[in-house]
Amino acid sequence: MNRSLGSARWMPYLLLAPFLLVFTVFLVYPLYRSAVLACSQTFGPTRHVWVGFDNFLNMARDPDFWTALKNTAIFTAASVLIQLPLALGLALILNRPGLRGRAIFRLIFFMPSLVGLVFVAMMFGLMLDEHDGLVNVLLRAVIPHFPGEFPWLEHYVMASLILASLWIYAGFNMVYFLAALQSVNQDSLDAAAIDGANVWQRFIYVIMPEIRPVLGFVVLLSVIGSLQLFELPFVMLSGAGPENSGLTMVMYLYEKGFQHNDLGFASAIGWTLTILLVGIALAQRRLTRHE
Amino acid sequence: MQLSSGSWTIVALMVISSLVLFFWPIPHRSGESFWTFTLDHDLIYEPVIGKWNAGEPDAGQHVTAYVIDKQPLLQRLQSGFLSGTPLPNMAEVEISMAPTFFSGPLSAVGWTDLTGVIHREGLDQRIDPASFSPWTNRGHIFGLPHDVHPVLLAYRSDIVEAAGIDVSTIQTWTDFVRVMKPLMHGPDGPRYLLNVWETNQQDMEILMLQAGGGFFDADLKPVLNSDINAQVLARIATWIAGPGCICTNAPDFDASGNNMFQSGQVLCYLMPDWMSGVWMKDLPGLSGKLKLMPLPAWAPGGLRTSVMGGTMLGISKSANFAQSWAFAKYLYLNHDVARELYRRTGIITPVRDFWSDPIYDQPNPYFSGQPSGRLYIQMADKVPARTSSPFKPDAVVAVTDALIRLKRYAQDTGTYDETLLTLQAHRELARAQTEIERRMAANAFLTAANP
Repeated sequence: MNRSLGSARWMPYLLLAPFLLVFTVFLVYPLYRSAVLACSQTFGPTRHVWVGFDNFLNMARDPDFWTALKNTAIFTAASVLIQLPLALGLALILNRPGLRGRAIFRLIFFMPSLVGLVFVAMMFGLMLDEHDGLVNVLLRAVIPHFPGEFPWLEHYVMASLILASLWIYAGFNMVYFLAALQSVNQDSLDAAAIDGANVWQRFIYVIMPEIRPVLGFVVLLSVIGSLQLFELPFVMLSGAGPENSGLTMVMYLYEKGFQHNDLGFASAIGWTLTILLVGIALAQRRLTRHE
Repeated sequence: MQLSSGSWTIVALMVISSLVLFFWPIPHRSGESFWTFTLDHDLIYEPVIGKWNAGEPDAGQHVTAYVIDKQPLLQRLQSGFLSGTPLPNMAEVEISMAPTFFSGPLSAVGWTDLTGVIHREGLDQRIDPASFSPWTNRGHIFGLPHDVHPVLLAYRSDIVEAAGIDVSTIQTWTDFVRVMKPLMHGPDGPRYLLNVWETNQQDMEILMLQAGGGFFDADLKPVLNSDINAQVLARIATWIAGPGCICTNAPDFDASGNNMFQSGQVLCYLMPDWMSGVWMKDLPGLSGKLKLMPLPAWAPGGLRTSVMGGTMLGISKSANFAQSWAFAKYLYLNHDVARELYRRTGIITPVRDFWSDPIYDQPNPYFSGQPSGRLYIQMADKVPARTSSPFKPDAVVAVTDALIRLKRYAQDTGTYDETLLTLQAHRELARAQTEIERRMAANAFLTAANP
């Protein structure tokens, strides 16, 4: 009896042990090490000096950090405020009953997201070339006095990045919205129409409440993806661009960690980014809590 | 537990692939390993290494060269130096990689300190002294220089001479603009005199070094906000914006940039010796249409050349030094290598004894029959020395940003007077200098207590 009781008492811990072991080794310990690292200045993995919160203070004093934060915030805002409405608009168009060639359009809009980000960055880099880029060639053909050279990637860096990301991700997010729209209750829409609701009212009062969970999910996904932006500017601008106009938080982290060999500072940037992400996720959760 | 046939297939594949990987024979390479980052160098070294190996009866002293692209080469070297992963005995590294090696304490530099042996063996006399400067950090020389890389001005002689312009009358940059400006109205549209742009960091560095400016002093203290740097930035600003604009952006290694040179839209180019070799390969259509001349000076009697780029051979601390050093000298002080290097790449050797070689006097049809090698060698012992601060990449970016802001200031305010722009350049450079000083102060590994 005693033996079986003893076994029963330890059994849950025994069963939990594999998970706890993996969780500790691969999550808790790295997090702890990363926190220690964030308070150290390092030169490679073996040399480090304890600097307390100096990394965070130096980061706050570094104009590059604020540039990276600003650029990342602009890109994130554009993702949410331009890309998602565009994706939703495309989904609404494709969801119209009786639309011919729906599958073809869906494929066309979705296809850019199948192309690797590096290729997209290279392609847009070539298209926006100041001399012979396709965009300038077209604009010169259409606008008689358009300048012979127009350096998009010097003067409109963020706009160019946002344009490229729209091309890639609008179709991708459209698929989520399309799936959500297809699950909107048709009876509710019909009832609203009979009650005299116009198209806009039906969208706001019937469609939006029904797709809100998907909308929340897509917003969170876009925000997280935008905060992790790296390859697109890195390849398109061959670095951070003039005056760091294309520098993002993750590029800043890469630069400090792998070009300056200071993994401690990079870790501090990583923690800052994590805190930002958690803050945004919590805010988003709070905003959508009533659902 | 019942596994489906698909699951069993996956398990079987996993086991088989693990076994294959485990037993896959890893070729054991004995002897010395030597990494380089360009195929051109490897092709030049191949026969020389063959001779070296033939003369070494002990296979343990044979050298094998590996070509590894710049970025992975840098990553692998840094991994080796910082965390003990396998390293080559010797490696060639390019100047842009150098700051990475010097950004920690001196004891963490993974290259063997060659200062003593270079002085003892008199190599500092045989090799052009300025060539050592990018590889010298905190008074220690960490590499044997591969090149000098003087800069000359390449110009479209077909267009310039057809217009009756005598370039020998050009002594200064002011002369250059005055004499060449009539060429800016080409038959097919506007032409530009020079390929210099605010985003091209190399051009800015070439011009700053030529003028006697730079980023750091001999003690590696930042000197960004110097009078010379401010004057150079102000002059460049008048070249790239406003009514006196003579420059455009024709990017290197780029189809649209190359097209601008081929079409004659850009007339002149700041050309280091290595770039002459690149152009001979990449722009064969310009053969016989170009000539070289010394850079116009910033002031009468001033320096007529500058410097750009560089490569060194370093010996890792883990190597058998005597063996590696013997090979390094065999390779870099080798007359055949020097000749082949020039023939293949246009690069002149830093070894002064070889400068009298008649190969450098041979007319080069690409440069309209000029002896391009000799023209570069005439400038070789005049190239300005450089410094090897680990903060140089940051400083270059900071000064580039200062130039971008200066150009914007000129355009926004319509200020194109050089004196007024110099004052503004000082303000921008002061900002750049403060930022670099802040970064340097924050580095605990480079303080006096931790040299």
